[in-house]
Amino acid sequence: MSTARLLHRGTFIALAVGVLTAGVLVGAALAQRPTPPQPPSGPSLPAPPTQITPPPPAPAQEVRPAEAPPLPREAVHADVSTRRIAVTSTFSGTGIIVFGAVDNSRQTSAESGLYDVVIVISGAPSRLVARKKSNVGGLWINTSSTTFTSVPSYYAISSTRPLDEIASDDVLKSSGIGFDFVPMTFHRSARNLTADEIREWRDAVVRLKRRDRLFQQDEYGVAFVGRSLFRSAFDMPATVTVGAFETRVYLFRDGELLSTYTTKLDLEREGLEQFIHRFAFDHPFFYGVFTVLIAVGAGMLASYVFNRNKA
Amino acid sequence: MNIYLPIAEMSANLLLFIGMGASVGFLSGMFGVGGGFLMTPLLIFTGVPSAVAVGTEAAQIVASSVSGALAQWRRRNIDFKMGTILLAGGIVGSVFGVEAVKALRRAGQFDLFVILSYVTMLGVIGTLMMIESINAIRQAKSGVVIASRQRGQHNWVHRLPLKMRFHRSKLYISALPPLVLGVFVGFLAAIMGVGGGFIMVPAMIYLLKVPTNVVVGTSLFQITFVTAATTVLHATQNQTVDATLALLLIVGGVIGAQFGAIAGQRLRGEQLRFLLAGIVLLVALRLAWSLVVHPGELFSLTPLGRP
Repeated sequence: MSTARLLHRGTFIALAVGVLTAGVLVGAALAQRPTPPQPPSGPSLPAPPTQITPPPPAPAQEVRPAEAPPLPREAVHADVSTRRIAVTSTFSGTGIIVFGAVDNSRQTSAESGLYDVVIVISGAPSRLVARKKSNVGGLWINTSSTTFTSVPSYYAISSTRPLDEIASDDVLKSSGIGFDFVPMTFHRSARNLTADEIREWRDAVVRLKRRDRLFQQDEYGVAFVGRSLFRSAFDMPATVTVGAFETRVYLFRDGELLSTYTTKLDLEREGLEQFIHRFAFDHPFFYGVFTVLIAVGAGMLASYVFNRNKA
Repeated sequence: MNIYLPIAEMSANLLLFIGMGASVGFLSGMFGVGGGFLMTPLLIFTGVPSAVAVGTEAAQIVASSVSGALAQWRRRNIDFKMGTILLAGGIVGSVFGVEAVKALRRAGQFDLFVILSYVTMLGVIGTLMMIESINAIRQAKSGVVIASRQRGQHNWVHRLPLKMRFHRSKLYISALPPLVLGVFVGFLAAIMGVGGGFIMVPAMIYLLKVPTNVVVGTSLFQITFVTAATTVLHATQNQTVDATLALLLIVGGVIGAQFGAIAGQRLRGEQLRFLLAGIVLLVALRLAWSLVVHPGELFSLTPLGRP
């Protein structure tokens, strides 16, 4: 190989490597987005992001026989196995355990079945368009659509037994428990739809979300492991949308809602994952240029490697 | 090993995409064609949203054409004047194409549009190639060689205004046909995720009468820059370029192309073309089938706006 050719080849590979490096550098510089301000955390441990809704006021004290003092009211507490879950490039779904306890449980054993627990995990609401195909001249084409301004991106229900055995529809509806009562809002363009059409669109969303396992129900998913302790397992598929999730735990006895408890969990993108996603949406132009530079660098590097083998 | 694709928002096997890149790379190395017209439908079959398939494929074509363009440039096989006119048209076409993709997505008709475009394009090209290769195989068997049609010295292209001299191509023709050709190819690149060489090369040879030795270099020059511009435009306007997916396809593609080129040297040209025509027609049929057969689920969901 002559010196001139050697020199030429040297410039070529330098160019290829240079282009690749430039791409990575530009990307790295631009992805340095200021992180959203974190709430200041004091020297003590930050309080868990949970809250207890006060139980409904206890019935007015009646005159009771002295031998039966009023039993203390039950309340429910719960937590999740992981409060913060990272979505990385190899994320293929995750499992979450929700566990909790009934204060002042009057159950004698786990099998008593005095209480019913319903756990609902719901993801951040998102906007979506639902479309319906119909046959036009032999081809299946999207012909109608409706816009939802808010649909939970994820919605999983787990309970001690089927919901209709736990409480009446009115009670379930007021708490938004069950696929029939998932909180969804239509865009105002849908105001002329009939009740049947609304039903059809809602059902379609639930059906498609269930197919993708983004909506789930386990009718016997909550199990008591003692007279007051219970637990349930949930799983989130890889396609789950990242963001804040709310876990609500409802305690029922004889169809009456005794207590609720809310706790949060966060799904965050991390690593290369977060880098690429942020870059693509915050700096789309430079992300495009970065992708092109990577492609050019890879193409040039490949041609250099394979040409050398041939020579 | 599964990998999560950040823009396509799906989790799939890493090896699946490298394998797809390698297979299409093998075919493009063997047949000497770009692989966009096969890769985009394949990506759609695996469940990648069609707009992401189109946007990401543009990035892959940049990688697969840049080395070819550089090799041609070193051999001085690029007519830069002609290439610049084709490129100017190509960028205009790409801008319109990306806007068309945006509008069609908003209307919920992009999937239909892409599939119809592919069925038409692959159907026509596959049929023409099939007929041509069958004729060639028959001729090779009977030993009769039909003389190729005598090319006319002048055609309608030479009567258009705005004539320019293209030294490298030894041509004195109007700038309008290459400009229009560029616009058309740029538009196709943006809406279908193809380079457009399969249209540009024959058009340059038969319509513009560009010498064969400059055709490939000049079209590669145009494809490299137009697909690069298309990638940036899709990233800005539609956020449909998945860099992770593109990189996997590129890695598979460059490896596959090397082996394809070796395999291609051992097979006869007309048999190769017959094989490629068969593949092209199968892909077209598979796409057409998805439009005609009852979809099972009539409803579909599309997320709107992201956090």
